[in-house]
Amino acid sequence: MIDYKKLGFKCGIEIHQQLETHKLFCSCPSIVHDENPSIEFKRKLRAVAGETGEVDLAAAFEQNKDKIFIYEGCPTSSCMVEFDEEPPHEVNSEALDIVLEIALLLNCKIVDQIHFMRKTVVDGSNVSGFQRTAMVGVDGYVETSKGKVKISSVCLEEEAAKKVKDYYRLDRLGVALVEIATDPDIIDAEHAKETASILGMILRSTGKVKRGIGTIRQDVNVSIKGKSRVEVKGFQDLKSIPIVIDNEVKRQQKLSKSVPEVRKAETDGSTSFLRPMPGAARMYPETDIIPIEITASKLKTIELPELLTEKAMKLEKKFGLSADLANELVKDEIDLENYVKQFSKIEIKLLATILTSYPKELKTRFDLDSSKLTKEHYKEILSLLNKREISKEAVIELMADAASGKKIDPSKFKTVSDDSLKKELEMIVAKNKGAPLNALMGEAMKHFRGKADGRKIMEILKTLI
Amino acid sequence: MLKKILPGDLIEVTTLDNKFSGKYFASPDKNHLVLKLNSGYNIGIKKSKIKGVKMIKKFNKKPVPKVKLETKKGLKTISILHTGGTISSAVDYSTGGVNPHFTPEELVAMFPEIKEIANIKSRLVRNMASDDMRFAHYNILAKEIEKEVKKGTNGIIITHGTDTMHFTASALSFILEDLPVPVILIGAQRSSDRGSSDAAMNFICAASFIAKTDFCDVAICMHKSENDNICVIIPGTKARKMHTSRRDAFKVVNGSNIAEISYPDCKVNFLGKHKKLEDRKLKLKLIKENLKIGLIKAHPQMFTEELNVYDKFNGLVLEGTGLGHFPINKIDEFTSEHSKIFNKIKTLAKKMPVVMSPQTIFGRLQMNVYSPGRLIQDIGVIGNYSDMTPETTFIKLAWLLSNHPKEVKEMMLENLRGELTKRLLE
Repeated sequence: MIDYKKLGFKCGIEIHQQLETHKLFCSCPSIVHDENPSIEFKRKLRAVAGETGEVDLAAAFEQNKDKIFIYEGCPTSSCMVEFDEEPPHEVNSEALDIVLEIALLLNCKIVDQIHFMRKTVVDGSNVSGFQRTAMVGVDGYVETSKGKVKISSVCLEEEAAKKVKDYYRLDRLGVALVEIATDPDIIDAEHAKETASILGMILRSTGKVKRGIGTIRQDVNVSIKGKSRVEVKGFQDLKSIPIVIDNEVKRQQKLSKSVPEVRKAETDGSTSFLRPMPGAARMYPETDIIPIEITASKLKTIELPELLTEKAMKLEKKFGLSADLANELVKDEIDLENYVKQFSKIEIKLLATILTSYPKELKTRFDLDSSKLTKEHYKEILSLLNKREISKEAVIELMADAASGKKIDPSKFKTVSDDSLKKELEMIVAKNKGAPLNALMGEAMKHFRGKADGRKIMEILKTLI
Repeated sequence: MLKKILPGDLIEVTTLDNKFSGKYFASPDKNHLVLKLNSGYNIGIKKSKIKGVKMIKKFNKKPVPKVKLETKKGLKTISILHTGGTISSAVDYSTGGVNPHFTPEELVAMFPEIKEIANIKSRLVRNMASDDMRFAHYNILAKEIEKEVKKGTNGIIITHGTDTMHFTASALSFILEDLPVPVILIGAQRSSDRGSSDAAMNFICAASFIAKTDFCDVAICMHKSENDNICVIIPGTKARKMHTSRRDAFKVVNGSNIAEISYPDCKVNFLGKHKKLEDRKLKLKLIKENLKIGLIKAHPQMFTEELNVYDKFNGLVLEGTGLGHFPINKIDEFTSEHSKIFNKIKTLAKKMPVVMSPQTIFGRLQMNVYSPGRLIQDIGVIGNYSDMTPETTFIKLAWLLSNHPKEVKEMMLENLRGELTKRLLE
């Protein structure tokens, strides 16, 4: 076990999350994975004297490589703003509103007048040689199980271009991002994961952030007493955060001397050197964008959403669901209330299960893609169940049919009347004289899967032998 | 308290609900105090919310270490004359103040490659946006160039705002008669303070071109395309800014580029004949600084009043439509204003030279093809068959009125500085 306190463990995290809106400084849509690039150009970047008059350390590091950068773009997702052939347009007001919402959810104080800055980037990932970024909120906090973690800043910034082999793709460049940075209040490696997870939940609560792989990135700053701060980037998932942090702490313990640097989280849980830590000389004002005043009346227009955790809690209480089921419903963005109204005769727990676990079961049991199921499919199948025209066992079978492109045909699974069920079961018992109950049950289910309730079959069988 | 604080000072600002410390940043905004936080971010704090400001540390500007420039034997000397604009814009980002880098030492620090290309001299002539240029500034530049020529320079680079750089290139082409050294104008479409600036490449290519070749004329050196791989040398009288923001905004109009320079290896490829270095004696033929030359574009729904303002001018350039036309025909009850416009131009053309130029930019005037063109020539408008841009026409008219006032009509269509092209290929 690592004694974090004794080691003087210091840790803060930074989260970058893409916003669900068009690009930050132009009207291009945020298509992060665009196809068939038809635009190509070559550029050189130079290290320039920064605000302190010295050439930025990180910039100089890249300058030594003396590279020519090749950029590829699609006309559907990038324009002259991304080509650095046109100054930025007005800031995307929707993106600004989303970031204000996030900053307020994180209990931040909102900056009176926000100023976009140019953060020097000379690795080629920004065509302009800098990333535009503005501080929107300061001094916030989130509650965690181990106390408050202070939020030092919430910034609105633009995404970098994506490196593909030896060129950069412009589809991602300019996509609006929120950057959240915490103070070094994180107590241990598990706490880092919890904090990242809470921040992720808050971001998703807005319903205005992008979802899926690569749309959120976590960077972790770690140091122990007497050693320099190290920034670790590129975590695969939240689960790897504590493993990587612990390994990084162990690595730092072994060092006799250390310098501030940026390291990459490897899949095996270790870290590897990426580049020196950028110096302080890397920010200067973006003079092409005028400062934006955030007035009190503007802030009044920002509506705060219910957090996903609160939503789940409400579902739990209202419908007597388990925490897991409630969380699943919220995570999958399923409006259970609406379904309950429409299909009032279906037991609520069963309804929730059908909506959350059955799609996953389609994959595991039938190797089918649940995304092929439309809302109409669900509606059709659930109303059959609601009218008791099919049994609950038939639901997954019909879902499987729909997912594999077949017509939903309830006649296959029409509920058998109690009378005819009893008659048929009598025949089965007669055919398999002396067979144990389990064997009879198996035989019966072959005939009645999806057509009759298993429990009912069992009850009848018991009376027959 | 605020009055004593100067840009760059480290201060602590207490507001109604917060406390910030950072460097005080110069800003024209009266309602907000701009602070550069330790994180590097600037924020604006509403002045009405500020309860107190405390000085933490006065700004102490570090002196820039002086680099002693050595003159290298065997290299040409290039004189760099700065006029301002994006290429030489430099803001001190710790204070927000303007801190231009114009000395040779600063230029070498910014573009170290230059040391191997040429020995450089550098000075600021004016620090202005090119939109503010007047004829007087062309004359100042010409005199500064003459000074450098007398001191034995091998070439001149003028850094210039791009917006009117083609006017200046044209003006210098006419003013500098029997020019004995090359004069190359350069600009930047992206400021020098960013990694992606086009300034360095334009500068290095222009300097290499002067250093490596026997070219001797006035030209513009800018990007050929949106790639950082080739610069073009565009003749001074045939260039035009054709895009608001692209790196390759400058294009040759009705002519061809003189040369291309590859980057970063700076190989020069001449594309045709060029004017070569010769022993010539520079004569300055300046433009009269009080001349009033008009430039007006034909458009639908034109009124005579638009032309009335030129009554007391010395000359007028008409930007005609198509092959060189103006709305001068009364064809129905709605076009009686056009008869007035016709009469107005007729009156103006009696008082001053009135010269046609193409608002299409590309192509040659052919004023004999349609009747409006013929009619307008009959009342004294000159310039038929010209392929000069409106801007070059404007400068040439001013220059002729200053230096050859009696021969304006004849010389307007005489090729003096490569401004007219007899054979157009596109």
